[in-house]
Amino acid sequence: MSKVTSLAEAVGSISDGEHLSLSGFAITRCTMAFAREVIRQGLRGLTISQCVGAMDADLLTGAGVVERLIYGGGSLDRFGRLANINRGIENGSLCAEEYSSLSIAFRYLAGSLGLPFIPIRSLRGSDLLRQIRARTAEDVAEVTDPFTGENWLALKPLQPDVAVVQVQAADEDGNAWIFGPKWDNPEQARAAKRTIVITERILSGDEIRKHAEQTIIPGLLVSHVVELPFGAHPTSVYGAYDYDDVQIRCYVEAAKTPASFQAYLQEFVYGVKDHQGYLDKVGGVARLEQLRADPVLGY
Amino acid sequence: MPLEYTPSELMAVAGARELEDGQVVAVGLGLPVVASFLAKKTCAPNMTILFELGVINPEPIHTGVGLADPRVWYRANVLSSFVDILGAVLHKGRVDVGFLGGLEVDQYGNLNTTLLGDPQGQFRHMIGSGGANDIASCAKRTIIIMRHEARKLNKTISFITSPGYMGGGDERAQAGLLGGPSRVITDKAIFDFDGVSKRMRLLSIHPGITLEDVLDNMGFTPVIPEAVPLTEPPDPEQLRLIREVIDPQRIYMG
Repeated sequence: MSKVTSLAEAVGSISDGEHLSLSGFAITRCTMAFAREVIRQGLRGLTISQCVGAMDADLLTGAGVVERLIYGGGSLDRFGRLANINRGIENGSLCAEEYSSLSIAFRYLAGSLGLPFIPIRSLRGSDLLRQIRARTAEDVAEVTDPFTGENWLALKPLQPDVAVVQVQAADEDGNAWIFGPKWDNPEQARAAKRTIVITERILSGDEIRKHAEQTIIPGLLVSHVVELPFGAHPTSVYGAYDYDDVQIRCYVEAAKTPASFQAYLQEFVYGVKDHQGYLDKVGGVARLEQLRADPVLGY
Repeated sequence: MPLEYTPSELMAVAGARELEDGQVVAVGLGLPVVASFLAKKTCAPNMTILFELGVINPEPIHTGVGLADPRVWYRANVLSSFVDILGAVLHKGRVDVGFLGGLEVDQYGNLNTTLLGDPQGQFRHMIGSGGANDIASCAKRTIIIMRHEARKLNKTISFITSPGYMGGGDERAQAGLLGGPSRVITDKAIFDFDGVSKRMRLLSIHPGITLEDVLDNMGFTPVIPEAVPLTEPPDPEQLRLIREVIDPQRIYMG
């Protein structure tokens, strides 16, 4: 069955207040075109989760779409901090539940396996745990190992309403390949109630079947497939294109103040009709061709 | 004639000297990347290098802007996931050494990468943990690399992102945490930790630096043994590898 839809239709399936996990890691495979469409459609009150905070979550936060963020800290690598997220935490407008990379990954893993909780060695003795206990005490607990009697910290599973995953290739049913490291994406998709796949290109079902061991997300988890070349721009997609340093710097500069970020949103999100309009805005085919990855290097 | 080298180069070399062949090493960004690639090219060719997001033993030929840059994944022999690296390798107890950096460290090796305070009492939110808390909790030992400044080597820190020996003594073991910090490498000195009190202890001072330079730029007084040797300076081959092979564009070395 074909699940191929437009980006607008896939975003339209999401309701205000839902919990979305996003596939980005800092400045790579971020769900950027998806985030821009979420902002254009005016969704509100979202909960966003990901192991390492990335540009997709920061953009949504800067646009006022995010009420709650569950993450393990993050940055835009050398380009700068997650300015909108940090500002939201500092002024109290964003409810941030801050963990470590592995504790979020374990929460997704427990969610993906249908387990009631997962024990972890991390977080103990830290102010991260003290802060979690003060803010969302229901998400952590002490448990005793029934076999050894040892005391463990247990985490509650994460089960997002929707996992949004930016991938290199998928078929019409949503069987999706991810090349390069996959960080938390396999567990995100399995923990979520459903998955929206944003793919650089759609392959035939026969093509996927020939190399089915590369399928990271099974189609049975997927509700929508959107074919969207350069959907992660200005972040990178391994084997497809490099990050756009000019556009990331432009973003970092704009994110320094709420006013300049509003101007950025006007120009690059509200001021363009759709993803094609955005790509034209950032330099069109001429610029995108410069970013295309060398197949051997992957960047 | 003495060799010319920068404090960053000495720190990277000191980090590399801590690593042994065959070890499994979890690496963050910056100086630890240089230290581990240097070790792999010199004293530890069979070392395994891990990046938290799912990368094992990359052999980059271009310098990246961070762990999210595919340049630093080049020629890896495994590209997998957090659960695979931080779970099945680190949480399982297979990481020998984890490198950590930070905004602030206290005398017990507790690290802050979350909040930066200013004199007006306002806090800025910074990077947070990433895999740092996991590495600090689960590696057999950690090595902390940071600049030697009074505001960074602090008596009390704003936030414990990654626990060291907590309040000292056996507090860390009581909390059920493995390992703990074994070295703090700065641009002035190298420290280890007293076996009983778990307070930071001066291990060596870098050439050209005095004990006063070390102590005047710290917010607490470390344990000072009677004799403190000089840190061994880098050798010419180590400097050549750093400058020509590992970081020719000086992205990590500043």
